[in-house]
Amino acid sequence: MPRHAVPGPVRAADESMTLINEVYRRPLDPGYQEAADRRAAGVAPRRTVRGGAALLVLAVLLGAFATTSAVALRRPAPAVLEARALLEAEIRERTALADDLRRGNAALSAEIAQLQGDAASTDDPELFAQLQRDAVAAGVVPVVGPGLRVVLTDGDPADGTAPDDGSALVLDHDLQILVNGLWAAGAEAVTVNGERLTSTTAIRSAGAAVLVDSTALSSPYTVEAIGDAASMQTRLARLSAGQHLASLAQYGIDVRVSAQRELQLAGRGQLTLRSAQVPGEDLEAPQEVAPSDTQDADLGAAGPRTLGSRSSDVAGSVRRDGEETR
Amino acid sequence: MIAVIGLVLGVVAGLLIEPTVPANLQPYLPIAVVAALDALFGGLRAYLDGIFDERVFLTSFLSNVVVAALIVFLGDQLGVGSQMTTAVIVVLGIRIFSNAASIRRHLFKA
Repeated sequence: MPRHAVPGPVRAADESMTLINEVYRRPLDPGYQEAADRRAAGVAPRRTVRGGAALLVLAVLLGAFATTSAVALRRPAPAVLEARALLEAEIRERTALADDLRRGNAALSAEIAQLQGDAASTDDPELFAQLQRDAVAAGVVPVVGPGLRVVLTDGDPADGTAPDDGSALVLDHDLQILVNGLWAAGAEAVTVNGERLTSTTAIRSAGAAVLVDSTALSSPYTVEAIGDAASMQTRLARLSAGQHLASLAQYGIDVRVSAQRELQLAGRGQLTLRSAQVPGEDLEAPQEVAPSDTQDADLGAAGPRTLGSRSSDVAGSVRRDGEETR
Repeated sequence: MIAVIGLVLGVVAGLLIEPTVPANLQPYLPIAVVAALDALFGGLRAYLDGIFDERVFLTSFLSNVVVAALIVFLGDQLGVGSQMTTAVIVVLGIRIFSNAASIRRHLFKA
């Protein structure tokens, strides 16, 4: 011991842990021991009837309280349930409303097409025929016919056949090349997972998802193209798109190309009219129509055609790429 | 014996009647249940130690529940409710654990 140290009371080595020791070493209520000691010494108070009754009442109350608490805790809070029910009802209501609107939209689209057809077929049969052909090219109407089906499936890193770095995922780029290749090979109409491609359709990626327009798609990607299946297949194979498809296999992506006797491709429905002009008028002064004025716009027979030719150089990057690769 | 019978009666009554708990008592229920568990384990251990006493058991039960709820209530008023809850749970949890260990030694001699 150092010479100048003040001899103090001996401290426990774990004095700083008194609190924890207290809790840990004496978990039992000291009252039990004291009561036992009193009983042993014979100084315990005698149990009276009133005391016993009070104990019984207290015990019943405590038991009921603990049970009630436990039951109440197991039940989800009523407020949460209420909010949930409210949200559910609202979701159902809105979904029904959206369905109604969608049906109304489809009916109106059909009516518009009907009226357009009627007007054009009586006034100008030639223009009507042109309109019908353009409607197919613009992707407005559903089409049926023979064609090619190409299915691209993400590689599964779990089974060891594909690398685990994400390269086995089908990218927007792959779909773009394939779709462009199909157009270049003579496809007349193309869908990706049922989404009809028009001249303004964009295929791009947002995170891991591939978006066709604003619809998120996931693997497997089924690309269907209507056209002469045999010639499309050979032409596709000769294009760079064919080589790209072949190279996908080495990343573990499954590519299946099959000719189909009959494919049914959905239509896109009425397109948003962005520009319209009265047929035969001076082309120098096209009448621009804002998209919001669609209902009031002159749904002239030249509308869709103008739209197709105009928009293809604005937003038809997908298709243009394909033509450039040729 | 009175205490055990009373508790059982209370549990049955609670299950049958299913009274609703006032909304402003709801936050203190978990802590009260843990406190009740601690009292139960303490009573069981005392019984195995041979020093069980009904009065001590019931008063410790009641005071455990009330004090635990009070501490948390006070903490809520002071803005440290969740920390207080944690403190109470830690202390009661340690007690439950060591009582359970003692009960285990009694029952299995190991």
